Amino acid sequence: MAAQQAASDQSKRRHKHEGPQKHIVAFIFSIVLTLIAFAAVGSAGEVNTTFIYIILMVMAILQVVIQMAYWMHMKDKGHMLPIVFMFGGAIVALTCIVMAVYWVWWG
Amino acid sequence: MAHTTHTVKRYSGLMDWLTTVDHKKIGVLYLIAGAFFFGIGGIEAILIRIQLIKPQNTFLDAQTFNELITMHGTTMIFLGVMPIIFALMNAIIPLQIGARDVAFPFLNALGFWTFFFGGLLLNLSWLIGSVPDAGWTSYVPLASTTYSTHHGVDFYVLGLQIAGIGTLLGGINFLATIINMRAPGMSFMRMPMFTWASFITSALILFAFPAVTVGLVLLMFDRLFGGNFFEVANGGNPILWQHIFWIFGHPEVYILILPAFGIISDVVSTFSRKRLFGYSSMVFATILIGFLGFMVWAHHMFATGLGPVANALFSIATMLIAVPTGIKIFNWLFTMWGGSIKFTAANLYAVGFIPTFVMGGVTGVMLASAPADFQFHDTYFVVAHFHYVIVGGLVLGLFAGLHYWWPKMFGRVLKEGLGKATFWMFFIGFQLTFFVQHFLGLTGMPRRVFTYLPNQRFDLMNLISTIGAIMMGIGVLMFLWNVLVTSLKPANASNDPWEDGRTLEWTIPSPPPEYNFKQTPLVRGYDAWWKEKMEGNTEMQPAEPVGSIHMPSPSILPFFMGIGLFIAGFGFMFAKDDFNNALLNGLFNNYVVAGVGLLITLTCMFLRSVIDDPGYHIEKEELEDKGVKA
Repeated sequence: MAAQQAASDQSKRRHKHEGPQKHIVAFIFSIVLTLIAFAAVGSAGEVNTTFIYIILMVMAILQVVIQMAYWMHMKDKGHMLPIVFMFGGAIVALTCIVMAVYWVWWG
Repeated sequence: MAHTTHTVKRYSGLMDWLTTVDHKKIGVLYLIAGAFFFGIGGIEAILIRIQLIKPQNTFLDAQTFNELITMHGTTMIFLGVMPIIFALMNAIIPLQIGARDVAFPFLNALGFWTFFFGGLLLNLSWLIGSVPDAGWTSYVPLASTTYSTHHGVDFYVLGLQIAGIGTLLGGINFLATIINMRAPGMSFMRMPMFTWASFITSALILFAFPAVTVGLVLLMFDRLFGGNFFEVANGGNPILWQHIFWIFGHPEVYILILPAFGIISDVVSTFSRKRLFGYSSMVFATILIGFLGFMVWAHHMFATGLGPVANALFSIATMLIAVPTGIKIFNWLFTMWGGSIKFTAANLYAVGFIPTFVMGGVTGVMLASAPADFQFHDTYFVVAHFHYVIVGGLVLGLFAGLHYWWPKMFGRVLKEGLGKATFWMFFIGFQLTFFVQHFLGLTGMPRRVFTYLPNQRFDLMNLISTIGAIMMGIGVLMFLWNVLVTSLKPANASNDPWEDGRTLEWTIPSPPPEYNFKQTPLVRGYDAWWKEKMEGNTEMQPAEPVGSIHMPSPSILPFFMGIGLFIAGFGFMFAKDDFNNALLNGLFNNYVVAGVGLLITLTCMFLRSVIDDPGYHIEKEELEDKGVKA
């Protein structure tokens, strides 16, 4: 089977097994972020609504970052191209959204 | 090393072609299908030019003319040149990077068959009698049910949806292939330019095709299911279609031209017998063109009324693209400078490409200026511009690539003398057809109008243009004749028939065996094969011992997935028609046909998911028996 192994750089890459500690920390962090988001919604009426929206958005972005970095291994070596392509896709999608909001919805 | 041997049915004849997952055979299928649709698009072009040969001509009526211009544009772009690009990508890229196949062979076959059946659906509109007639851009409200009551635009929407799936699959496949399947030592900055250009093109496909898919889905909902996305009376907005179409449409033109840039880079450096000048700047320029290509779509919409600020921004962004393109042009010139140039047919096309593409680029910068564009808009100046970049750029590039790689694909070198004659016939015909169209546009002749009155200074230039178009037609027929004559010769091309090959595809037999490389080569530098030659080696250093090779098994499922979507397309299109026939009404109006079509596709997907496909192995002894040179 040497053929297949040599044919692909990917299969030669060795992931050092790092143990579950980082994933446990990330999992706890995700739960804390979720609790903060719930608390923010629960405090509606006492706190300014705009402030709650901002909190929710920040929590959501942090969740995405944790998801990508830890659970989808974006922090590990050899994930440069997936990151490049995800950012590329995000830029194109954002361009479309800005276009639709600015020119089609408002305009 | 021990492994279980799986016996796999090997097909022959027609079944071999229907079930193949071999990238080289899929490349040939793409070439045949692309050439077929290119021929249809070409006949449509000739008919358009015959209608315009003299003022107030009655050769075609206005409706037929609208159908012809719509189908000419749509067929040529989506079904003519893109499949021929995919043909070359399939046939060559795995060889250039030292791979045994693409990353997803099954997906590759599926991409071909969905493209093919989508294209077939679109072109069957001619036989069924309601042909798309709203232009290749299919702007609403002209393409809405209010103004287009027959099924023409439905064919456009459904045909392109299905064909678009194929293109998207192809793009994803080549991204995965180029990222993961490179031979040891083939780093990104050692990849041949054609592979680089195809990589960027695939990325553009990945990002641009979803936009047009969304647009087509919205238009499909408006037309088939009573949606209101583009109906102003119900809160829709027709400008949305223009934005979505061009967010796809502008990257699409770079999807088309970048592979041609790659072909020209490989051909020019091979036949100048020099390393490509400024390789890293070529790579950088290609990436930059791909990136900027997404930021300029609104230059197609200057006359829509976006306002001076938006127009100015998109003007400047568009003109910026001239910078990386200029880098490429100068790099090609500097590659030829001081080289010992061989003017083979392939190189003639490449050298003809450079000035022609520069002219198309210059008129592009002229069109990018918003105030000037208000004058040029919808005149023949625009027609001249985009034919200079697509025909003078891409089609010349494709002919260069076909002449250059024909021996690698089929084991036979195309006749050089006939090839050169074809080049001159096509090239002169092209310049005659489109050069005068600049001045037709500046004189005020509008595009997409089926006839014109005499004595407006249009008459002579239109006559010249039509004569040129006929010469281009003869050129294409000469190429086909060349293919026919060549195919009757014995397939005896050597590994490196041009003797100056620089890249890995020239180290293996022509045509290559199904596993491409008996031993995966070790790449020691840019222009890997040239480097070995310069060190006096007659073959590549292997990166592995000879061992058994794992191959994917053939499958008929992609073919039936395509057929299923094809049937479903018809089912949805005619779901609300009255056929005056109880059986047909029952089948179509209750979505039976559409359901059966979707069921076929979904069943095939299910079978693909549950049936384990271990592939098969070509054993070491079998490799030795064939006595193939590594």
